[in-house]
Amino acid sequence: MRSGFFAGFLLATVSAAAAFAQGAPIKLANVAELSGGGATVGNNWKNGIDLAIEEINAKGGLLGRKLEVTHADSQSNPGVARAQVQKALDSEPYVLLGPGYSGSVKVTAPLAAEAGIAQIMGGEAAELTQGGNKFLFRTSFGQQSSMPKVAKYINDELKAKSVAIVWVNNDFGKGGRDVITKEFAKYNIKVAADISTEAGQADFAADVSKIKAAAPDAVFVYVNEEESARMLKELKRQAITVPLMGETTLVGQKVVELAGDAANGARGHVGLTTDAPVDLIKAFREKFVKKYNYVPDHNGLKGYLAIYMIKATTEKMGKVDAKAFADNLHGLTIKAASEPGILMDVTFDEKGDIDRQGFLVEIVDGKQVVKQVLPKLN
Amino acid sequence: MTATGKYLRIALGVVVIAALIIVPMNFNRYGLFILSQWAVMTIAAMGLNLTLGYAGQVSLAQGAFVGIGAYAAAIMTTQGLPLVAALGVAIVLCFAIGWILGYPALRVQHHYLAFVTLAFSTLAFLVFRNEDWLTKGIYGISNIPRPNVLGFATNRPLPFYYFCLGSLALVSLAMWWLIRSPWGRAFVALRENPVRALSLGIDTRRYTLMAFAIGSALGGVAGTLYAPLTQYIDPVPFNLSLSLDLLMMVIVGGSGFFFGPFLGAMIAVLLPEWLRFTQGYYLMLYAVAVMLLLIYSPTGILGSLDRYLAERRTKAASALRAVAKSRLETAP
Repeated sequence: MRSGFFAGFLLATVSAAAAFAQGAPIKLANVAELSGGGATVGNNWKNGIDLAIEEINAKGGLLGRKLEVTHADSQSNPGVARAQVQKALDSEPYVLLGPGYSGSVKVTAPLAAEAGIAQIMGGEAAELTQGGNKFLFRTSFGQQSSMPKVAKYINDELKAKSVAIVWVNNDFGKGGRDVITKEFAKYNIKVAADISTEAGQADFAADVSKIKAAAPDAVFVYVNEEESARMLKELKRQAITVPLMGETTLVGQKVVELAGDAANGARGHVGLTTDAPVDLIKAFREKFVKKYNYVPDHNGLKGYLAIYMIKATTEKMGKVDAKAFADNLHGLTIKAASEPGILMDVTFDEKGDIDRQGFLVEIVDGKQVVKQVLPKLN
Repeated sequence: MTATGKYLRIALGVVVIAALIIVPMNFNRYGLFILSQWAVMTIAAMGLNLTLGYAGQVSLAQGAFVGIGAYAAAIMTTQGLPLVAALGVAIVLCFAIGWILGYPALRVQHHYLAFVTLAFSTLAFLVFRNEDWLTKGIYGISNIPRPNVLGFATNRPLPFYYFCLGSLALVSLAMWWLIRSPWGRAFVALRENPVRALSLGIDTRRYTLMAFAIGSALGGVAGTLYAPLTQYIDPVPFNLSLSLDLLMMVIVGGSGFFFGPFLGAMIAVLLPEWLRFTQGYYLMLYAVAVMLLLIYSPTGILGSLDRYLAERRTKAASALRAVAKSRLETAP
């Protein structure tokens, strides 16, 4: 009797331990711009993450374990981002998520690499993946892969010989401007006007009159969504009729809503858009709107994809192994057919850069119309 | 002050210093980073306390001086020069710029002076951002090395924290000496009544400039520590909000009190971190806490402590007087 009780107790303990090992949640840490200048970026990213985790947990988790994420606010300040990433790494997460600002990524990436923890981030500056960091992964195209496509389109389709560039003077805008200026040089396209603007700028009258004076064949606009809308309105007001080209931001849903008629005719290259003619993305958008009551921008998609990158990589490994994670994600191709959460087929190269299809879109009657699908390279 | 009071104070000081040295030994990297940040911000706030608290000049440019120091350190140490050289350059540069910026202080006062320094703050930010050839603009400067101090590498968080703490101790000693010197008394005289100070033969012009320049130079010192602390700098952290933060540290701690900046920086750096468990509300709660504090005690924490102690002393003294008086009256 007594030995039976003891055996039962032992069995219970062992099975409880096993259940614990099986059921202990997988910890993820997110550090993002939840307040300050990048609050739109960070909150979209955060909501995308939460949505994906909720879905995965509802279906029984990852390898039978629940996912758990902590969110920390970087206040859009690299110094704070560094402190928060340090804190996140001290708690030994499986994977580090964020930040979204390239400057904050730059200051935190060495810490994650030193800890040997993979970092899946939202930054788009070209240089982030050029330093040989083995633990850093993008969720979207870097500017080094999106800008050449824009330049090629301006040269081949618009046949422009001179272009005015309008960019926002932060690391995002300046990074894009520097890459595309180099690309233009390859095609012998002249930069007719090189106009820097401020984040949050309200009045673009002076900038647009400079464009008018320069009389370019096309205008490349690379500013954030709200400013894009104001820019488009001013361009229309001053009757500038040359083609307007952008990258992701200029043709975003929010710009169309804010700029109304003025957005018609604007074109752009888009790597990730909730308007993409892809059924899985449409479904994602519906789920997101249902949960949060607004249409996400590409940062919402990025956060969502980050979680599914983790899921696909972990399932490939068949175990939760933080040390081996980065090695396994390098060179991995994730097919939307087998992992619908990834939305579009994607391949990660040795640098952590991304290869995926892209879109060239134009705004027609207040709607994003995909003019051309740029296929995945490999 | 009684002898026991003095010994109590010394004992308290020793305990605090010992705690600052011993307790962080078990801290994780995050805790050490925050504490190092506290030490660095305290130095910058001490500089502002000299300008504002002792000499009475409102400055919204302290963040810009931290930026100048940080850029001097970042540019020079990434070129292979030692941090101590950068420190020298930062001090000289900030002292000189602070001196020049002090000139408007001779002509304008209070919020007008705040506007002048605010303009300088914006100007400095634009220089950091737009002069690519020097500051690498918006991309910032990365891989800033941490120094070797007396042969010890400070790459690990704990040695670097001790380096920051040691710097704070040196700056505190220098400040302690300064405010007890004739200069410090002249600064206070300047704040309390410039006309009387002038009539007593104090060269108010020179001391105003001096207060500005020394305060600014301390901002530069803080900057040279900030750059190797974060190991990456871009212009954004040195915009106006840092100047406002530093101003808040001085006022919340108690402007014109020696230990004000220590407390103020502790609140500004640590309180938001402690409140983080409230998720999205932490910045709001922090703001409310600061507002309540300033409504309840416009002179800062040390100001209210001082008031409380003064009241107690007055009560004790009047009680003594009452006793003495009744004795006199009852005496035959």
